[in-house]
Amino acid sequence: MAAPCRRMANRSLLQFFSHFSRTAVRNTGFREFSSNSVCRASLQTKTVTETATSPWTLVAAVCLQRLPVISADLHPLEQEFKEMMLQMELERSLVSDHELRVLEESERMSRKKADDYDSDEEGSQGNQEIMLAQDMEDAWEQKLKNFQLAPRVTADIDKDLTSAQRCLADSLFLLAEQQVGREKLWLLPQTQWQEGETLRQTAERALASLPAGFKATFLGNAPCGVYKYKLPKAVRTESTVGTKVFFFKAILSDSAPPTSPSLLWLKKNELQKYLKPAYSMKVDRFIINM
Amino acid sequence: MYPVLRKVSITQQAFVLNPALTVCRARPSVQHPVWCTDSVNERQYRSMPTHGIGRWKYLLPKRQSKEKKKKGRQMRPIVAATDTAYGTLNVMVSGYDMTLVEHYSQYIHNLCHRLGIKVSESYALPTKSTEVMLMQEVGTKMYVDAVLKTHERIVQLSSLNTTLCPVFMEVLLKTQPEGVQLSVNEHTEDQFKARFKARPELEGLIAQINH
Repeated sequence: MAAPCRRMANRSLLQFFSHFSRTAVRNTGFREFSSNSVCRASLQTKTVTETATSPWTLVAAVCLQRLPVISADLHPLEQEFKEMMLQMELERSLVSDHELRVLEESERMSRKKADDYDSDEEGSQGNQEIMLAQDMEDAWEQKLKNFQLAPRVTADIDKDLTSAQRCLADSLFLLAEQQVGREKLWLLPQTQWQEGETLRQTAERALASLPAGFKATFLGNAPCGVYKYKLPKAVRTESTVGTKVFFFKAILSDSAPPTSPSLLWLKKNELQKYLKPAYSMKVDRFIINM
Repeated sequence: MYPVLRKVSITQQAFVLNPALTVCRARPSVQHPVWCTDSVNERQYRSMPTHGIGRWKYLLPKRQSKEKKKKGRQMRPIVAATDTAYGTLNVMVSGYDMTLVEHYSQYIHNLCHRLGIKVSESYALPTKSTEVMLMQEVGTKMYVDAVLKTHERIVQLSSLNTTLCPVFMEVLLKTQPEGVQLSVNEHTEDQFKARFKARPELEGLIAQINH
């Protein structure tokens, strides 16, 4: 799946190298673009050709993910298969040391209880154990009963969209409500690019500018997706045609992040309710939901 | 009568011709003794005229049989990292549950095949047993409560493209099962040497020589 895409990206990169004029100011930026594996390479090299005189405002956004904490629930078919395999393995397995001990001791007990028991006739196995295997098993059962498992699914926390502990089996994505132009929109946290910094630094700034501090590790120096937005004709001027948003992926590293009412943690299928359709189409392309 | 006679004579002539032809055909095989040794004496089966028509291996000069080197004695050369690709990387999967660890390492190996990442080696490190000892409720003696075995599997990748790395890492992190630790580090010669058993007699003799 990735291999043919890479080949295509290489071909389109080669085509655009020939159109390349300016590499002076944004050398570091270009290197980042060239290492992108997604087929968006063609769009990015085009933006670099128009550097100082570009009518597009560049914006970097961060796609912060909380990885799943527990494994997903099994499909009913998978559950049946798993039970069948366990049953088969149990029936085919050999008796373990502990089970052999239990059997021997139960036999010895039954022989003791018989009337014609002669302790001198007992085998040359030495002294009897202090703890019988059966007693040990009972002690272990007790310990297991005392152990409390944490619940896999907590309905209250699952419904709270601002909590990062919801839906432990899925990966969650952070959405923030930010002012864009004249209206407040729900989107991945973003800030505008400033001269002299790499796009990844812009994305890190976007993450740091959120009301709650998050510790995250960025995956790679190259953006994983792009969204192009042209301003409506009335607002368009000579210098601003629209914005280009570059997305960077990051993974949350602390287990108990601070919550805030303006930030939402959403699953992939819930994102569509909060994002604009064109934006969500581009975002869906790089969000992996396994 | 005449026609019959003539026919006989013609057939006789045909017989005379045929041995000549066969003699001619036999000569090429005599001139090339390198061909199959039995080709001179072997007679082609009339029902299988094209038998062995595609054979060519016997035409090649005889090669010495490959000396079987014990696999693993020589270390594979460590690939150095370049600007666009990481060098030899070790993806180490470890945990207490052997089925999970093995299945996860197999999953990683299959994922590398699908993404076109070259896997140079895939091996297991020896299992480490940890004994959990608890203090007795009465008295100061410790007794063995449980024995935990740590299993480790390593998948060695020969080179990983920096463009593919974020995607690969994300998939690995998302599919990591509970109770399994994942770590990715560069392969060093020390790690390779650590897999071999120590030879105390050899080391003793070397120390004796040096002193």
